[in-house]
Amino acid sequence: MTINWFQAAILGLFACLCSNSCMAGQAVGNYTIGRPLVGGLVCGIVLGDMKLGIACGVAMQLVYIALVTPGGTVSADVRAISYIGIPLAMVAISSQGLNPVGGSAANLAKSVGTLVGTVGTVLYYSVATLNLVWQSFGWKDVKSGKIDKLYSVNFGWPWVSHAIFSFLPTMLMTYYGASAVTALRSTLPMDGIAMKTLFTVGGMLPCVGIAILLRQIIDKLIDFVPFFVGFTLAASLHLNLVSITVISLMFAIIMYEIKMNGGSNTPRTSSAGGGSPDDYEDDDEEEEDI
Amino acid sequence: METTQNTGSKKLDKKTLSHSFNLWFWGALTCFSQEHMQTFGYMSSMLPILRKLYPKHDDQVEAIQAYTAFFNTNPMLGSVIVGITASMEEARSNGKEIQGDTINDMRAGLMGPIAGIGDSLIDGTLIPILLGIALGMSTDGSPIGAIFYIIVWVLLAYFGQRFLYFRGYSLGDKAVGFLVGKQGAAVRYAISIVGSMVVGGVLASWVNVTTSLKLHGANGKVFLDLQDKIDSIFPGLLTVIITLFCWWLMSRKHVSAIWTMLILVVISFVGVLCGFFDPGLSY
Repeated sequence: MTINWFQAAILGLFACLCSNSCMAGQAVGNYTIGRPLVGGLVCGIVLGDMKLGIACGVAMQLVYIALVTPGGTVSADVRAISYIGIPLAMVAISSQGLNPVGGSAANLAKSVGTLVGTVGTVLYYSVATLNLVWQSFGWKDVKSGKIDKLYSVNFGWPWVSHAIFSFLPTMLMTYYGASAVTALRSTLPMDGIAMKTLFTVGGMLPCVGIAILLRQIIDKLIDFVPFFVGFTLAASLHLNLVSITVISLMFAIIMYEIKMNGGSNTPRTSSAGGGSPDDYEDDDEEEEDI
Repeated sequence: METTQNTGSKKLDKKTLSHSFNLWFWGALTCFSQEHMQTFGYMSSMLPILRKLYPKHDDQVEAIQAYTAFFNTNPMLGSVIVGITASMEEARSNGKEIQGDTINDMRAGLMGPIAGIGDSLIDGTLIPILLGIALGMSTDGSPIGAIFYIIVWVLLAYFGQRFLYFRGYSLGDKAVGFLVGKQGAAVRYAISIVGSMVVGGVLASWVNVTTSLKLHGANGKVFLDLQDKIDSIFPGLLTVIITLFCWWLMSRKHVSAIWTMLILVVISFVGVLCGFFDPGLSY
């Protein structure tokens, strides 16, 4: 499989639309076009192998199933994952001759895509930095009263940032990267340590994505219980996600009723027991030391 | 405290509000920078409102000063804030006692909680459910899952945000009480239960870390198949252990996601060397 200039340019355009600070809006750009699953569909159509594209998209989507960007900080860049990583992974898989929907193809896709996505964060910060220039135009307009120009500050000028940091890198990397990936086959044999490690890491990477999400939703250790219940329902009882969602809704209703009815009657302002709070704190510290 | 319910002469019509909403939907993040984040997206979505309410250009310029302050939140749920400010701005133009500072305090007070709720509710619960269902439809390389996600998500996102925007407008600053009040907290907690269980289900359904370690006896027979033993204790135990390890690194040891991935590379490398992991590949 090769990627020509025309295909590379289309991928570059999609990269502009989807990257964070996205030209197609957050919901449509970042959250739809940027999702690796959708990126897989687009790349599959553009490169002419839908099945392989979707398979790579599914594999990559697992790693980034919970891509949260708390406070505008990112650990991976969707334009790089979906429109540089997936095309390169597709080339790599077809040059290795792997079965597109097999587990090893998926693990290879995860490794290639995650590597590119992590490196791609530099693109995200570059766009955000160049946007400062357009924003400085905007502040001048606000000061001098030309507020109508704010539309071009918000919707026009940022295209320049994306032409430089989304379109060009995507086009160049997919065009030139494809031949580099094909050359990998001769240098790295599949049964060697390097490839085995790459595939093993690929299998584990989704754990990082899930862990990032857990960091958001878990405050106390006891919050792990519903997480384990969901895991057990799927791993041991083999329920699918819709069934798990239905069961979890039951628990959600119960918890909502408890919070609404019981919460206010027993305010936990007074601590039980007679000892002073300081004593308890000291005890805790000693236990931790041991 | 006075509510911002409009009794004056100036009234925002649906067309203006729709225009403002669409500018937010498409442009909340287009001119994003680390310094001002969504400030410019916010200002441009307020422009149609200000133009409608203040016929004189100088008044428009003065009014927009209230929106030059830093703004950043979850853009999906954040549309409710834009709706609330539209309503407050309407009240202000009708001579109600509302200063630019009042509007700004409301915005600044809401953007943190809304970001937190939005990230856990939408990014952490709704999207994993949708993606989990979509992935199941696409495992054999079929495009149906991707198409399902595109249609369902875009419709939900557009009409959901639109609903929130107009809800924010009709409630005005009364919406604040609900969003950060007791009922809001109960809803958030209940949804976080759904989120946690679904994420557990996603992990078990889609991730499978296994060991290939087998010990052979003298006669060549396998006398210990570690993966079989693990499955008889708790199916998927290795997957859980790796995930909890990543969580522990990032949340308790404050290791960044990139370093966590590199640590996994080291673990995999050592595991492959000693035969614990083997993806079993060949040409």
